[in-house]
Amino acid sequence: MNNRNSKNKVFQRIKQTLKMHPVIIVLLALLIIFGSIYPDRFFSPINIKSILRQFVTLMLFALGPTFVVLTGSLDLSYVGVWMLGGVLVWMVKPILGIFAIIMIPVVGVTTGFLVGVIQTKAKIPSFILTLSLLMTYTGLAALLAEGYPRAVEGYEFITAPIIRYVPSTFLWTIPIIAAAIFFMKYTRICVYLNAIGSNEEGARLAGINVDKYKILAFMLSGGFTGVGAIILFQHLGGSAQMELKLNTLVWPLVAIVLGGTPLTGGSGGPQRTLLGAITFTIFYRGLYLSALHPTMVTLLVGVLLIVAIIISARGLKGVTVT
Amino acid sequence: MIQEKSMTRPKLSPEWLRRNMATIGPITFVIAVVAVFQIINPFFLSYQGFITLVYAMSYFLIASCGLTFVILTGSFDFSVPSVLRLSALISVMYIEKIGFLVIPLALVVCLVIGFINGILLAKFKVPSFLATLGISIVLEGIAWYLSKGHLQLMHNETFRSLATSFLLGLPAIFYWGMGVWIICTFLALATAFGRRTYAVGGNLQGAGLSDINVARQRIYVFMLSGFLSGLAGILYMSQMGGGSVRIGADMAIPLFASVVAGGTALTGGVGGPHRTILGVIIITWIQAGMAMLAIGQDIQMITFGLIAIGMSIATMDRKRIKIVK
Amino acid sequence: MNDKLLEVKEVYKTFDEVVHALKGVSIEARKNEIVGVVGENGAGKSTLMKILVGVYSPDKGELYHKGKLVPFPGNPKEAAKRGISIVYQENGVIPWLKVYQFLFLGHEDKYIQFMTLQKDSMKQQACEILQELHVECDVDAFMHELPLSNQKMIEIARAILGVRLEREDSDTTPIIILDEPTAPLTDDECKELFRDLLKMKKNASFIFISHIIPEVMEYTDRVHVLRDGNLVAQYDLSKEKMTEEDLFRAIVGRKSSEYISRSGDSEALGEDTILSAKNLTKRGHFYDISFDLIRGSCIGFFGPAGSGKSRIIRTIAGLTNYDEGELTAKEQMLKPDELPHVRLSRGIGYFSGETGKELFLNWSLSKNISIINMEKILGKITRVIQFSAERKMAEKIVQKLEIKVPSVGTDCYSLSGGNKQKVSVGKWLERNPDILLLDDPTIGIDVGAREDIYQVLLEMKRNGISMILVSDEPKEYYILCNKIMFVMDGRIQKVLGPEEFRKVMST
Repeated sequence: MNNRNSKNKVFQRIKQTLKMHPVIIVLLALLIIFGSIYPDRFFSPINIKSILRQFVTLMLFALGPTFVVLTGSLDLSYVGVWMLGGVLVWMVKPILGIFAIIMIPVVGVTTGFLVGVIQTKAKIPSFILTLSLLMTYTGLAALLAEGYPRAVEGYEFITAPIIRYVPSTFLWTIPIIAAAIFFMKYTRICVYLNAIGSNEEGARLAGINVDKYKILAFMLSGGFTGVGAIILFQHLGGSAQMELKLNTLVWPLVAIVLGGTPLTGGSGGPQRTLLGAITFTIFYRGLYLSALHPTMVTLLVGVLLIVAIIISARGLKGVTVT
Repeated sequence: MIQEKSMTRPKLSPEWLRRNMATIGPITFVIAVVAVFQIINPFFLSYQGFITLVYAMSYFLIASCGLTFVILTGSFDFSVPSVLRLSALISVMYIEKIGFLVIPLALVVCLVIGFINGILLAKFKVPSFLATLGISIVLEGIAWYLSKGHLQLMHNETFRSLATSFLLGLPAIFYWGMGVWIICTFLALATAFGRRTYAVGGNLQGAGLSDINVARQRIYVFMLSGFLSGLAGILYMSQMGGGSVRIGADMAIPLFASVVAGGTALTGGVGGPHRTILGVIIITWIQAGMAMLAIGQDIQMITFGLIAIGMSIATMDRKRIKIVK
Repeated sequence: MNDKLLEVKEVYKTFDEVVHALKGVSIEARKNEIVGVVGENGAGKSTLMKILVGVYSPDKGELYHKGKLVPFPGNPKEAAKRGISIVYQENGVIPWLKVYQFLFLGHEDKYIQFMTLQKDSMKQQACEILQELHVECDVDAFMHELPLSNQKMIEIARAILGVRLEREDSDTTPIIILDEPTAPLTDDECKELFRDLLKMKKNASFIFISHIIPEVMEYTDRVHVLRDGNLVAQYDLSKEKMTEEDLFRAIVGRKSSEYISRSGDSEALGEDTILSAKNLTKRGHFYDISFDLIRGSCIGFFGPAGSGKSRIIRTIAGLTNYDEGELTAKEQMLKPDELPHVRLSRGIGYFSGETGKELFLNWSLSKNISIINMEKILGKITRVIQFSAERKMAEKIVQKLEIKVPSVGTDCYSLSGGNKQKVSVGKWLERNPDILLLDDPTIGIDVGAREDIYQVLLEMKRNGISMILVSDEPKEYYILCNKIMFVMDGRIQKVLGPEEFRKVMST
């Protein structure tokens, strides 16, 4: 009798998890589809390595903004933090040596603070604010680097191989993701961020200092992006690129939305973004391996974004959308 | 009864200044910009210089007018650069095969894209900036697919003359730009369509109660934006004579900045194409001036990013919005 | 036995030196009781409550806690120390928080060790308090998954918990202010809520704010009645025999001298029914509303707030839909979920006294008047706005309604409340719809402007415009309506003529 009960319980939990995270079904479906179409190429060590590599980039960019999305805002500045941070590392290396890498999280947190203050005090919508900031940072980075990506030596240990076939950066990423999830589940800050996204007015009535926590959200976002960018910095070749590619900007958003964190905020978090990032990476790599023209793939990503938003926007009852 | 009240208040009182800041500000800015650049480079206001400015400004003005209408309703359209690019590429790539039919073809495609943007917002309740962001990715993909990334050159001289033939000392595109601007201003200020646009942005609830089909108005506005972006793309191709998928890269923020700098607020309901021209002048003339001074792209980007942020702060109607995300 | 827990004496509060919200109000709450505070919109209830929880500070007054004179709280946390806490009418619930998270929201500092939340002990405490207060639910569920009455109960539990966690001495009984708690609930959910409240009475006292007379009569022990910032009556329901109508009259009644005589136009023009409703029902709000509106006449829906009268008029306007029944205008049946602009094309206009919703405040007068009269100012062939026609139209209205303004180009922002209302009415005067729905048309404006607006409305009636009125001002019904439908609990209870109405409503 006991066995039956515990089996039922497990079943119940699986059902509940699936209901809360429908993206898992998509993920499994994709794995099955791609696995059956080209099992050799898809599950080859090379492909898996590529998947992991791409996942790292995507995840490290998408992690920080997740905290902001929780509150219902958007943070598009992550690419800028990485670019500007990278250039600052190059500039400061002669002075600070190996510790120069700290510049990136510093830029991240400072940016977050700036964005948060402007957003809450001047009431500018976050997406246009962070997008404009992104443009400013791109220019600033290019200015300081005098136009060229500047390579920095001394951080190769980050990408030095540890386990065969597994990119080391992936191993470095795991603790960061774990930290984010821990943050989400066990701190008061994240309960408040959730509350603000779910019902900002209600949170205010409950006595929460909404402005303060929004600023903290942006700082958290910048901080996580900054730390992640340390890894990315070396992962992507030891320098930051100078060009602003639309894809780099939008794919992390797709990962967040796909994972199931609604853009209006209130629920979700890093654990969902994790799922979204995995699913997106597999989606992308699977299509990439197919006979489809690479530009078609980019197109499908755009469609995916819209579809994901439409589905997640279904929950917007009576909310005024502009 | 209407009281006859004589305006005894002196014109330059601080209150008058504050109320009319939205108009005085941009005009002063333009004068300052022109003055600064003229001092640094005396060729700025020369005939050659002016032509350069015209070329920089005209297609940009057309696209900005379209974007203005969307922002007036309180929405955003990030797809303007991508639509411009697609329309330019369509005209250059298919002119050999179907001749001048490319023009209506491109315009129809852009109208459809605008319609899709509008539907995503009105029917599917997707926030406009996300919907148009997603659409612009799709459009970018299509642009890549069609052109395979290669540079396309326009050889058709008649097509090129659309923008570059000279009339009364100025290139045709000047007249296109001005013409579109005049029509847009007229549309905004003197037609029922314009009134409805302002109404939707000014008071969404009130608009719904005032005999306005809000959903339809929004869709129309996006279609207008798409159409004008498409027109801008065609003229761009005519002016430049060639292009690739790089067309319109980095155009989004300056475009937005020019609308906001002119005095059209993000909150909607205020401003309009008559204002946008000031913002366009500011942005494109700064751009051209910087290019003339060989100031790098990087500083330009910084400038426009800061202008966008700064002008948004200045023009937002903070009284109306309680919760901003 | 006098166990007065909380007493406020002679509280005065004025906003901006103009709005006298409270003029010397005194109320008291005793241990283990539910005391009601009732009054119409603007009577001062929410101002008083906000003073009690520390959101506002009073200009004058005294506060006694357990018999001792104490200072008014400066913020909600201080109020909680004294045992006072509030459950707001709306927006209080955070849908995507789990029950135990919501219960402790704002008080997590009591459960943090090494920077992390002690979730297990939080959950356990949550279970305990919910059990104590007889609320059954899963502490791990999301708030939005629970039925509305449960959500309200948990809000109340949260308020009590908040007091317990913050209070200075453990002897302090929580005093929980409930601001219109039953507004979003169905009848059954209300019953559940009150059943639980009665059980909770042992552990806390409640101040119950409401307009809904049957509830107040049934569940409160004592009642304070506020009107226009004054305490006009106080009843001990356990001792005195009162009917619902007595209480209603105490809330809304006006002195008989305040009714100006009607100018005789009570005969409607003709016999055709321009609008008719059959069994209109919206579950949870109104049921079986049927009436026939004759051209040129005015029907009023009168009742206490929460009776459903506002919903009815908004449904006819197209702002919400209805579940059952038929609505027919000009012999054409309307669809339940049409938007307002469609209703307008059928001849039904909606005018709300809340001009912020209706007017475009940063537009000029003329633009506000012309926006629903576009056809009249567009050129016949060119469809272009004729600015001179627009200006003339506005000037005509300004003259007719005596709107005091330098020119028709002035922004509506700067107009006084009364003038804004006049602009709003003016645009409808120009539009001349078949049916005009009046939703609180004179809210918040001075007497002089009111009289002017009544004159205009009466003239519109004479010209054949039919109207439906919903308002909080009994005088308006007397002046404007031919028939007055008394609505309570979502149903039409009585139909009165204007003179009957006046007799019933005079105190």
